[in-house]
Formats: sequence, C-alpha cells, structure tokens
Amino acid sequence: MRLLDPLPETDEPDGAIPGDTPLAEVEAAAVGANRLTIRFGAFRDGRGFSLASILRERGYGGELIAAGDLLPDQARHLKRSGFDAVRLNAGADPAEWRAMLAVIDTVYQPASDVAVPVWHRRAAVETLEQKAARLDARYRDADPETVLAAAHREFPGRIAQLSSFGAEAAVSLHLLAQVDPATPVLFLDTGQHFLQTLSYRDKLTARLGLTNVKIVLPDAAERAGEDPKNDMWRSDPDACCDLRKVRPLGRAAAAYDALITGRKRYQATTRERLAVFEVLDGQVRVNPLANLDADEVEARFDDHDLPAHPLADQATLRSVAGPAPARCGRARMPARAAGPAPTRWSAAFT
Amino acid sequence: MKVLTANRLSDGRVLYWGAQGLATEALAEALWLDDAEAERALASAAARPDLFVNPYLVEVNAGEPSGRDRFKEFIRSTGPTVGHSRPDIEGAA
Amino acid sequence: MYRYDEFDHALVSERIAEFTDQVRRRVDGRLTEDQFKPLRLMNGVYLQLHAYMLRVAVPYGTMNSAQLKKLGHIARVYDKGYGHFTTRTNIQYNWPALSDLPAILTELAEVEMHAIQTSGNCIRNVTTDVFAGATDEEIEDPRPWCEIIRQWSTIHPEFSFLPRKFKIAVIASETDRAAIRTHDVGLQIVRGENGETAFRVFVGGGQGRLPHIAQEIAPAVPGRELLAYLTAILRAYNLLGRRDNIHKARIKILVAALGIDAFREEVERQFETLRHEDLRIPDDELARIQAYFAPPPFETLPKHSGPFDRALLADPDFARWSRNNVRRHRAPGYASAIISLKPVGGVPGDMTADQMDVVAKLARRFSFDEVRAAYEQNLVLPHVKLDDLPEVWRTLHAHGLATANADLVTDVIACPGLDYCSLANARSIPVAQALSKRLADLDFQEKLGPIRVNMSGCINACGHHHVGHIGVLGVDRKGEEFYQITVGGSPDEQAALGEIVGKSLPAEDVAPAIERALNRYLAIRHEGERFIDTVRRTGAEPFREAIYEAA
Repeated sequence: MRLLDPLPETDEPDGAIPGDTPLAEVEAAAVGANRLTIRFGAFRDGRGFSLASILRERGYGGELIAAGDLLPDQARHLKRSGFDAVRLNAGADPAEWRAMLAVIDTVYQPASDVAVPVWHRRAAVETLEQKAARLDARYRDADPETVLAAAHREFPGRIAQLSSFGAEAAVSLHLLAQVDPATPVLFLDTGQHFLQTLSYRDKLTARLGLTNVKIVLPDAAERAGEDPKNDMWRSDPDACCDLRKVRPLGRAAAAYDALITGRKRYQATTRERLAVFEVLDGQVRVNPLANLDADEVEARFDDHDLPAHPLADQATLRSVAGPAPARCGRARMPARAAGPAPTRWSAAFT
Repeated sequence: MKVLTANRLSDGRVLYWGAQGLATEALAEALWLDDAEAERALASAAARPDLFVNPYLVEVNAGEPSGRDRFKEFIRSTGPTVGHSRPDIEGAA
Repeated sequence: MYRYDEFDHALVSERIAEFTDQVRRRVDGRLTEDQFKPLRLMNGVYLQLHAYMLRVAVPYGTMNSAQLKKLGHIARVYDKGYGHFTTRTNIQYNWPALSDLPAILTELAEVEMHAIQTSGNCIRNVTTDVFAGATDEEIEDPRPWCEIIRQWSTIHPEFSFLPRKFKIAVIASETDRAAIRTHDVGLQIVRGENGETAFRVFVGGGQGRLPHIAQEIAPAVPGRELLAYLTAILRAYNLLGRRDNIHKARIKILVAALGIDAFREEVERQFETLRHEDLRIPDDELARIQAYFAPPPFETLPKHSGPFDRALLADPDFARWSRNNVRRHRAPGYASAIISLKPVGGVPGDMTADQMDVVAKLARRFSFDEVRAAYEQNLVLPHVKLDDLPEVWRTLHAHGLATANADLVTDVIACPGLDYCSLANARSIPVAQALSKRLADLDFQEKLGPIRVNMSGCINACGHHHVGHIGVLGVDRKGEEFYQITVGGSPDEQAALGEIVGKSLPAEDVAPAIERALNRYLAIRHEGERFIDTVRRTGAEPFREAIYEAA
C-alpha cells in the first residue's frame, strides 16, 4: 500500500466519498471510475472497510484510496480491505505508517488482499522430511521442554509418546506430563513383562497425572496362529519380536504423525549424532532428551523426586535398549548391544 | 473547594495533587484548591503526561468528596469496599 | 481441546510484539492516552477506578490444566493473588501494572492464551454450552465451530471497528445453557437437509439500556455457508448500525428499527454478492479442527458406581453437593461437576491463585485435563468418573470450593460494580454478599429450587440483570446507591426480559425484599413448580406486593 503526501489546504472539495455514504451511492460512483477516495470520518468508524471490501468483491478494479482520520495501526485493515493507498494527514509521521506496513501478518480470514489465509497455508505441502529437518535445525540445541512444546505445537493432536516404562522412562514421562498430560502414551504389553514393570507403569501414570496411557497388545489371532506354544522367543527371536512388538506398535502408532521417544545421545556410539527431530519409516520421531547426559538424567530424577523403577538396579534394565519383554529381552540383550543398530521399535524405547 | 485527581501512568493507581505539586496516593494529603488554583493545577498536571492520566477536578467539602460522583470518588480514595483486595475484611484471602 | 500450531503461535506473537511496542511508546510519551486507549482496548486493557484491568480470553470457556495454572501464576506474580471470572467466560485481573503487561501477555502465549479482542468494538470471545462435549443432549460438539468463528473473527480487517461490540454464542441442543437469545448473534446447531450440520440463526439480542431478545433470522444455514452468512450480517450491521449514540449502536437497535424482515432482506442482499468460495472452510481444515475435540478416551463403565453410592450414604454434605452441583454425562459412569465460585459472603466469580492450582490439578487427574469456565461465573470439571467424585469433592471442600449451591438462589451472577468499575453507578458485590449471607441456609435454598439472581452495577448489564429470574440493577439517585428489582427474566430457550416491579430500594433493603418475594413464591407455588414458572403463571404482581410490603 502506498503512502500519499497530504493534500495542500484548500476549501475546494477533494472529491472524496465520505465513509457514511450509503452503499448504493458508493457503488454508483464506482461505475466507470478508475480512482475513488473514501474518507473516514473518525478512526472508530469502520464503515470504509466494508465499503472497500464490497467494491472489491463486486469487481471494482480501479484505484482505491483511504483518507481522513486514520491510525497507523489500521494500516493492515486498510490494506486487507482492498485499499491501494492512504492519503496521510498533515503532521502524520510516515515512518509510523511505513513501520506498520512492513509488518508481515499472519491472517486467518480471506479478504481483498494477496495475503494467504492460514487455512490455506496449513494445507500447503511440506514433506515430512523437510519439516523434520526444519525443526531439527531450529531446536537441535534446545532444552527438552522447548523441544517437546514445539513438537506438540507442530503436530497438535497427532503426537504420541512411546514408552516401555523402563528404568529411565520417568524422566521422559515427567517431561511429557508438564507439557501435556493428555498426550497418548503407547505402552506395549507383550504379555511378557516383569510384574514390577506393570505396577511401576500404574504408579508412574498416577503420580505424573498422565491421562491417556494406551496399552498396545499383540493381535490375539496372530499370536495364536504363529506362536501357539508361546515358545517362539526361543526358537526365532526376530519373528517373536515382529509378532509381539513391531506389528502391534506399528498399528497403534499409525494414528499419529509424530512419536516421542526417550532416546539420548549418550546411550550408544551409534546415537552420537541423534537428531531431536528425525523421520523414521514415514513418521517423525521426536527425541527431546537427545541432549541430556547421564548426570542430567540422574539430576532430573532427584529434582522431581521421581520414583525409580523397582528393577532399576539390575544391570539388565540399564542396558542399551531398556527393559525389553522379560524373557526375550534378557536372552537377546547382549547381542543387541554389540550389534550395529537397534531395530526400529526397540530403538524408540527407553 | 476542589482537589485534583488522576490515575498514575505506570500502574493506574489513584493520585491526588499534593503540596508543591507532588503527587500523593492519599486523599487526606491532597491540596484543597480554589477555582483559580484548580485551573492552574489542571494545566500543570496536563503537562505531566508521564505521571498523570486523565486529570480532573473533584468537589470536596472539608476534604471529603461532595459532588455528584461523591460515592465513586470515595471508593476511588479508599479502594474496593469488599473482596480479595481487602485482606483486612473477613472472608478475603 | 484446540491446540495452537505454528500459525496460531505466530499470530499471537505478532500481536504481543506490536502491543509491547505500543506500551513502550505510551510509557516514554510518544503516545498520548487518547491515542493509546483504542490500542490498549484491542488488547483487553482498561483503566478502571483504582488501576489498569486486564481481561484475558478463555475461548468458549475451555481450558486445560496448564492454562488454569498459568492464570493462577499470573494472579500471584502480577496481581494480588486472585482473578475474577466474567459472564463472557473470560478472566479479569484488577491490578496489573502497565509495564508488566507485555510480560503477562508473553506468559499467556506460552499456554496458548491471549487478550486479543476482549474489549473494543469488535467480535468478542465466542461462548457456548459449558457442558459441550459432555452433555447427552447435543447434536454435536459446538466447540469446533466456536474455534472456526474465533479464527475467522480474529483481527478481522473489516469488522474491527464496528459501531459497537459484537457477541456470538453457539449451542447444539434445544436446551439453551449459553443464553444465545441475549446475544448479537445466537447460533443453534440443527440438522439441515441430508442430516448435515446447519445453524439456526438468531440476531439482535442484547442487554444494556435497551434490552432485546434475539429474533430468528434463518432456520438452517448450512455449516459450509456459516462464515458467509455471518459476514453478511456483520456487513449489514457495519454499514447501517447507528454510530451517533453509544446506547443505540448495538445491532439490536438496528434490527428493532428495521424490523426482522427488512433486516433479513439487507442480510440476504449482502449474502448474495459475497464471494462464498473464499469463506467456505476447507474440508480438511474443518476435519483438522474437529479432531481436537474428539471425545477423550472414556472408559467403559457401569452406570452406577459403588464408591459414589456409598459416599452419598455416608456423607450428607457430599450428598448435597452431588445433588446440586453434579450434572448428567453422555458417558455412563461419568458426570460433570460444577465448582461454585459463590461461597457464602464471597465475591461472585473471584478465585484465588491457590484455588486455581487446586482445580488445575483436579482437572488433570480426574477430568482428562479439561476445565471449563461457565458464564454463570463458575467452573466446571466436565468429565469426572463417578468413582472419583468423592475425592474431587474432598479436595474442593478443603479449599473452599465445594459450596453446594449451583443454580440455587445464592449462585448469584454479579458484575464487579462500583468497587472496581469506572462505568458503574452502584456497587454489586456487597449486595450479592448480603443476599448470600441472608439466604445461606442450604435447606431453604433447596426448598426454593433453581432460581437465578443477577446483579448489575449499571445499565450496561454485565451482570445480565434483565434476564435474571430476579434481577437487581444498581442506580445512582443523587449520589446515593439504589437498586431496581425485576422479576420474570430468563436467559434460556424461553428467553424473556424481567419486569421492573417498582421504585428502587436502598442497598440494605434489597436482600430482605428478595427474601419476602421468595417466601411469597413458596406460599403460592403449585406442586413442583419452579420459581420462574410461577412468575410466568401469576405475573409479577404477587412479588411486587411482597417486595414493597412494609418490612
């Protein structure tokens, strides 16, 4: 929108249409005109905004100038209502108007300007990879609270936390409860957890005030078909893992665009460059604790008086992938720890 | 007689025009002004927009508001008569 | 509930940055009060009798625990340790310093709250049924539509300088718990053709000096046309509404002057020439917003709860609270609990920071992290398990929040009145307190049944006195406080304006006069007849007699 210099003082009529002119007369004046000036009688009198909007919607293509008693703070309203220029009053500070016009506004509603309403910008395509990269660049050094709050903002209603309620889960879940205790928490119940883990899960849920812990179960029919004797963990650990972990979690997690994990950079050499936002298998993984070191994790336990896992002092639980299902977890953990990379689901767990 | 009152720019609290043109929060410390003094005080207060917001004059009789808005001015001078802003009153937090 | 995405955050941040700059310019003298006033009003900042007042929006009354906790934090750090819930389901702080306002707004933004459009001649906070999403009466949850209207109306280029303020309320049931017929525009969700969402539209309601009950302008505007239809109404109003007299500037006066049929023609003329495509909410956007309001994961529970039933038998106080403050829920085994902010002798709608913390914790533990502000100046925990009600009640009780008077005669709606407000002619709070102390006996209140008393300290009617079953209006008679009493008003689906019974009374006579009217009601009511139904049957006369009977 252009700023026009004040007109010289004169008694001659300037041809401007007063803002209180009936719409029909304004429309009649617009027919064939290539320039119209609407004069606002008082900045509180917003009729001119409607007159301009209506003229633009009904196809008036000429120049539209606002004049009269206006505030620089109304620049956005004028611009969005279809004015091309504003005639400054004598004594007005053009710098204030320029400052207001330089502001780029977020706008919700369509109007008579080129600004794209949020409704349409939301639908604009940004690939998941682009989004994760953008967020990671912005938040890679941020503290866990900031990362998690940003994640909730970016994926509202489409975000869940994965947790096996293992040794260090309390830190991650406490953080979640601070940001939004209603966030879904997906807990995989393989049917092979230690009882202590199950009671710890309930205790922690109540203590932190989490309101939406969802228990994910293996599909009963699949289990009956593939592992009728319940001994697959011994004969084919990978297939067991696929049946009890990968597939059920895949189904449960499909409802979300982003999954929060408790992973930390220090946990293994392969995680040294762990991103805070990354894409894995078509979903965004958010790792708010990525930047914490072991001391900071301990400190959070102490600072917030978080209950320790009843088995936390057992070496098995402190190992790389956290407490996997009791039997197969114990059987396979050493091999995993030495291996190149954890599988997609155990990697997500702590 | 009149007193001059306004609200303080920084926090909106009620102010009165006191001795030597200093602002006071206490009506009891407000200067009683005759018409000529009142007009001068009003002009001086208007010249201090960093302190006085919306200065105006209030009729007083023996230091108590006495004009049409005397009750409103009484409450302005004492603060709310009830509620949480009055910890001295029973039932307030 | 709705959560901000990056765009919502960006918009609020932009407004805070702008207002921070305006405050700075005001403090260093570059803006005069006259220039600053319209700018501060756009951000909910008033200058009241004793201090600045900040009004924070609670959009359609829905909050999460973090938000309520933050409201308490602000009360504690920047105010005197309390806040006041209003009849627009907003919260007001009575003592913030001008220089603290940018910090307060920044803190609010952290929990997705703001003060945008809580004052000024623009579209104000949209209100709705306090039991939205919890009641079994609604066609659908009205809040996604409230959120759509909130977004559409925020910093609207065309409708930010209307002749006067503009209030919209939305409900989704025949029962009207949001007083839509007292609004500039009232919307009732109905089923349109093919079962789609449609809106029955009322227009021209309003209180103030010249009160009007809204009239129906359209029976079923399809949901996808809602914003176009609202735009057409606002356009007609913006162009034709009066600007020469502040008391005649609301849309109610325009509608009454033209007549509903002529006004409808004006709206339809505007509606025909609008660019509808632009204003149609994209389907994926509607779905995105609706997804936020999906029901929480209710457990499958039996209709009856052993712990609840046992507590009812064991504790008469709990039983009374359950009887009066607990409402039916759509999910078996759940209920909605009204937290009364009307303790005996208290300030209606006031809440301390500590109480806000307590309710925030309860919401988080027992109500899927949701809490609601009701226009009656109470809070509601919308989704509580019956099993949990005894514990919720114990906690409320321990913090002075378990007054068992929801919708009873001491559940008084009152504006801040002359104790705080620069517009008021008389105080409201002390009169409400006197009434509440006089009628404190809950057995008597329960005998009376549901009665709404509304008090306003001036004709602007923030206390909705016109539609109180009993209304009390403070007036100034030669520098003395007097109170005019009305009976027979009603805010609901049978909305009506109360009738003035006679000359105004001095403050100390109000509570005794109301008590006499209530006793008259007990004497003349038919079996099972509510107060308002008795007034409708008999007219105001018996109550007029009782009110002016020599005490």
